[in-house]
Amino acid sequence: MNRMLEYKVAFALTLSIVSAAPAVRAQEKAPAKMKASAIQVKMIESEEIKLPAEFQVALYEDLIQQLQKKSGFQQVYREGDRTAANAAELVILRSSVRGFKEGSERMRQVTTVAGATSLQVHCEFADKDGKVLLERDISGKVRFFGANLNATNDFAKKAAQLAHDNFSSAPKA
Amino acid sequence: MHKGNDHRFVFAVCMFALGFLAAPSRAQQPAKPAKVTHITGLTGVKNKTNGTLGLENGALRFSHDKADVDLAASSLEDVVTGNDSQRLIHGTLGTLTMFAPYGSGRFLSLFRTKLDTLTIKYRDADGGLHGAIFMMGAGTAESLKVDLVAAGAHTSVPTPTNGAAPKGTDIKEHKP
Repeated sequence: MNRMLEYKVAFALTLSIVSAAPAVRAQEKAPAKMKASAIQVKMIESEEIKLPAEFQVALYEDLIQQLQKKSGFQQVYREGDRTAANAAELVILRSSVRGFKEGSERMRQVTTVAGATSLQVHCEFADKDGKVLLERDISGKVRFFGANLNATNDFAKKAAQLAHDNFSSAPKA
Repeated sequence: MHKGNDHRFVFAVCMFALGFLAAPSRAQQPAKPAKVTHITGLTGVKNKTNGTLGLENGALRFSHDKADVDLAASSLEDVVTGNDSQRLIHGTLGTLTMFAPYGSGRFLSLFRTKLDTLTIKYRDADGGLHGAIFMMGAGTAESLKVDLVAAGAHTSVPTPTNGAAPKGTDIKEHKP
């Protein structure tokens, strides 16, 4: 009888832990957002890796387009934009390519599993004084369908999501 | 009768000579606008827009159904060419052929057309850096790049000139 009671208690405890876990994880996952109302995107650097010019430009342009779409910044400035100097709470995004493998669209279309294009980009969000606020490695991939350049769009979407999750023009209390 | 033949001969020689003189002036004319696809980057133009790209009055002009976009050649900070390929049957029809039976869609993927890419970097009025990528038929990007550089554009990858030393010459010279 006692054993039965022990089982019941153990089961109840397990159930309560399992049900509480997602809530705890959600609290851990949601960090306080940093306040920033504008972002300036610097041209993608690739000193260590030989990156074709079209990939460099596509990374930069896709990043700007995705940040304008969903990052939540009021303004997205390009490198060299003089009007950015007057922007309050400006965040500067520097990205450098750490890894690049140009796959083959033909190989993907013929085999489905081979010929993936992938790139690894180190992103650094800093304030006007150069203090790093956030840094992360983000990857971009094309595995099955689409042109090689689509890897840049995959990266840009992830980078914009990262910015959205960590920065806000109106910070949480 | 002989005189008539002489006149005809002189006339033919003159026309031949005029033809030679006219040839260089034709070569100096800017290249005909090339059919291109704008992949990304031009302000106010949607990605994957078809149009023509050419050099007009010292500016790079992208013309499509809705408008013309001009960029002064001197504002181009970098012009780089590259190459790529795409399926012979592409677009919506190309996607549909992927589902064709017995792997025939995959087989069709082996047939591809070669393409050139033209990548440019330029600044807007506020100094903001832009980049744009165009895709065009093979063999057209390099001539356009040469025209742009001649009109004042900059490039990080200079095109080898006709007067360049033939391949292998440098190697022989540098032998101890």
